[in-house]
Amino acid sequence: MDMAKRLAKKAQQYIGIGCASGALAMCVLMPTAGYAFGPEQVPAIEGGETEYLDLEKDELKFGFIKLTDCAPIVIAKEKGFFADEGLAVEVIAQPNWKTLLDNVIAGELDGAHMLSGQPIAATIGFGTKAHIITAFTMDLNGNGITVSNSIWEQMQDVDPALDTSQPDHPIKADALKPVVQSYLAEGKKLQMGMVFPVSTHNYEIRYWLAASGIHPGMYTETDIGGRSDAEVELSVTPPPMMPATLEAGNIQGYCVGEPWNQQAVTKGIGVPVTTNYDIWQNNPEKVFGVTKAWADENPNTMLAVTKALIRAGRWLDETDSDGKLVNREEAARLLSRSDYVGADYDVIKNSMTGYFYFQKTDKRSMPDFNVFYKYYATYPWYSDGVWFLTQMRRWGQITEAKPEAWYHAMAKEVYKPEIYLQAARMLVDEGYIAESEIPWDSDGYKPATDAFIDGKTYDGKKPLAYLAGFEIGHQE
Amino acid sequence: MLIKIKHALLKVIDVTALGFLEPYVRLAYREEPDVQVKKIVQFSLVPLLMVIAGLVVWALVISPNVKTKSGELPSPGVVAGAVSSLHAFAARENEKESAYLATGEKREAWLAKVEAELAAIGPDVTAANQGVLDARAAEASAKAKRIDPLQAEEDALKAQYKDERKAKELALKEEAKLLPVGDAEARQVYLEKVAALEVWRDTQKARIDAIGDQIKVIQNEKDPAVLAALNVQTAVAEREQYLKKVVEQLSDNNRAVKVAEGQAKVDEAKAAFASAQGTGAYLAAKKVISVEERLAKTTVSGYAKPATLYFQIKRSVLCVFAGFFLGSAIAIPIGILCGLSKTFMSALTPFIALFKPVSPIVWLPIALIVSSAFIPDPDKHWFTQWMWNLPWIGKYEINPAFMASAATVALCSLWATMVNTALGVASVDKDHLNVAKVLRLGFWSRLFKIVLPSSLPLVFAGLRISLGVGWMVLIAAELLSSSEGIGKFVWDQFNNGASDSFAKMMVVVFIVGAIGLLLDRIMVVFQRLVSFEGSIAAV
Repeated sequence: MDMAKRLAKKAQQYIGIGCASGALAMCVLMPTAGYAFGPEQVPAIEGGETEYLDLEKDELKFGFIKLTDCAPIVIAKEKGFFADEGLAVEVIAQPNWKTLLDNVIAGELDGAHMLSGQPIAATIGFGTKAHIITAFTMDLNGNGITVSNSIWEQMQDVDPALDTSQPDHPIKADALKPVVQSYLAEGKKLQMGMVFPVSTHNYEIRYWLAASGIHPGMYTETDIGGRSDAEVELSVTPPPMMPATLEAGNIQGYCVGEPWNQQAVTKGIGVPVTTNYDIWQNNPEKVFGVTKAWADENPNTMLAVTKALIRAGRWLDETDSDGKLVNREEAARLLSRSDYVGADYDVIKNSMTGYFYFQKTDKRSMPDFNVFYKYYATYPWYSDGVWFLTQMRRWGQITEAKPEAWYHAMAKEVYKPEIYLQAARMLVDEGYIAESEIPWDSDGYKPATDAFIDGKTYDGKKPLAYLAGFEIGHQE
Repeated sequence: MLIKIKHALLKVIDVTALGFLEPYVRLAYREEPDVQVKKIVQFSLVPLLMVIAGLVVWALVISPNVKTKSGELPSPGVVAGAVSSLHAFAARENEKESAYLATGEKREAWLAKVEAELAAIGPDVTAANQGVLDARAAEASAKAKRIDPLQAEEDALKAQYKDERKAKELALKEEAKLLPVGDAEARQVYLEKVAALEVWRDTQKARIDAIGDQIKVIQNEKDPAVLAALNVQTAVAEREQYLKKVVEQLSDNNRAVKVAEGQAKVDEAKAAFASAQGTGAYLAAKKVISVEERLAKTTVSGYAKPATLYFQIKRSVLCVFAGFFLGSAIAIPIGILCGLSKTFMSALTPFIALFKPVSPIVWLPIALIVSSAFIPDPDKHWFTQWMWNLPWIGKYEINPAFMASAATVALCSLWATMVNTALGVASVDKDHLNVAKVLRLGFWSRLFKIVLPSSLPLVFAGLRISLGVGWMVLIAAELLSSSEGIGKFVWDQFNNGASDSFAKMMVVVFIVGAIGLLLDRIMVVFQRLVSFEGSIAAV
């Protein structure tokens, strides 16, 4: 019995790997849906005419951080989707996530590209307190974990299987564990960078480390740096500074979005070991956040913005009859402009067009590295919010155990599918999107999934049961 | 007459402190030509030669040798290229804006022209893409030629090492079986053998790694041909994208076109309203109102232009003067009081001594919190609204981040003015004050007739230092507060991390230096104008 179970698990993992290495069709066969449900092909569509909304405000300023997943905002501006709604939008680069959030709260920005954890943390009062809501998920996946060349060599010493030009994926942190321990034996702690305390990256790198039994440290009421009991210490570094900080030796690894992993490969300073697609397939990444007060004051503007963003997401994921993404090269070219992401076109193009370099000699096809629309990506799922809340609790950012109802209530405070659905309905009526591309009847929770690197099952409706299943971190 | 012009010229040169021009004027009047030529060599030629030497050293020595994994120091040529690319960006944004606002025949003629250009650029795009592919292929084969033998060597070494290691380990294991118990000497020998094996292992590994490193170096090398091809590709692709955008701004997304569309919608809605009946009439009326409102908004809408470097420079200069005037307005009165009264001075000394050395990095976050507390919602606050509607200044959008930067400039720069003013006021000639006493001048007349005029040279010397400090502080403040300006430009470029970002930052080095120099000269002129011969502040 036990044996059979283990075999089944193995088989599942195997199919999971199949997905990662690019065979999209195999994902459909996956017995555990949940990470790949929703449309997989997004054919071009001939739009109709935009129905004007009675806008409360038509000159807007949106903030973003220089990462490729700000694409929906840039595309909505450059491809004229905002203009179609009658909005004149200025898109302004922000130096870091904290300033971005402060500027949204202070009203200098109307809305911004945000880490999924940011609206939740702001709403529950971890860090700066403010009620932020989101009606639009900007993308799925898109992050990677990179380690320095020297750590990679030490990992290869531990596990000779990694010492090839194309090692098997997913790479777990198992090979890192002895390295961490040898560091500890010398009285040193490995330092790794992530982008913000409530960033997806923080939870992902923690998940990856903890899945192999490495303790990434707990947040407590007195330790807001999250380093209590840490075997690997995590610290905040703004995404664009990651490669330079790694090269300077202040950190030995980092978890960050694109193009900063590819940058490490291009410059030859580090090796991406895994992507968050392997840690949790089709995990939610960025959202578009505004303050609740702003949304309440400008309900029609909010709808118009959401409409334009949904169209931008769809444009980014449009495919031809062969399933090839048709607009990504144009998008990469736009993003490489110096007032947007500004990195070299060549670097941005890699991940945006579905390729990822793990090493200079290891280029792999990753069609789902950045998902902007398919798999119901743009829908603001309550279950996503609940997952972030479970991780905040797991690592002690939420200092007390909370009842299950609290998780659902908080997710509903932040995620606003009702606005999303209203905007989507208008787009369907205008002919810009197809009826089948939106999960109209969903209760806001994705089906349970076990597409995690440690194979644990996450059901958004049962956060406490999920928490109880972890070996490291709070379990209730 | 000519002599008058000469004196006027010399006076101007003296006041503006552009002393190096003096010999030219005198030479023109044939005044001791030998001396003048010597001075020209000394004050014009030598600095010029130094600049040229600096450029040569930069181009030939520094930039080819400073290379990190994150980039290399751009050569003067690359920096000049960055200037033109920055200018092109600004020019294109201006064009996009005027395309959005173009109307009538001008729009149509322009549209036809741009569409023709767009059609003509097609082959260039294909050629550039092919160029990149070719250059890449050439690079790959050239690298493969160099790497393949190394790779073979590495593989061979690895295999050999593996075999030898196995053999040696086996031999040692065999020997271990024969190791007699109790023979300490034999055991010691055996131990040394094992240690020797470890050393051998490390040296072998080091040999293999050395080859691996060589391969990596080759892999990381950047082929200039590929870089050049990529640059061409980027230039062409950016131009294509720009032309496409202009076409859009001239056709579907043109304001006049949108206004015409809006007008058509209004007419349509009005016609529908005219024939609507029952509750439908209400809805039709609402529709009329909404399309009319939209039309009114479209009529005055503008193109949301991103900040260009020119705009950022102007905004930075505005910000530094805002901070400078704010700081001076605080520093001069306090400085005067300190100079007049020793008690007042000693009362303030602890504060001056305590706050003077505080870094802008510390002031800025505090200033940010304070300024955003005063202006919770910049879109609605009366002060920002009033500022945004001012002529000239309105377009620079004075927001809390700007105010915080200006306040930081003020807080860091006011000390020099304050201390100099106090010194100037305190060191007024005693005879002058005695005369004032004899004349029984009141406090205010004494202040304005005696104290201020004689302390002005030192006050202006202080102001000059303050403006210099303020300009240095501002760049850091903007960088942190992300207030639109040169500092933010530098930070954005650093964050971009593209191959030309380094060069663009170098451009800013020269811009900041040039503006700093200009500000300093302006202050020197003021300082000279209020100084008199022999004054300590005469520079």
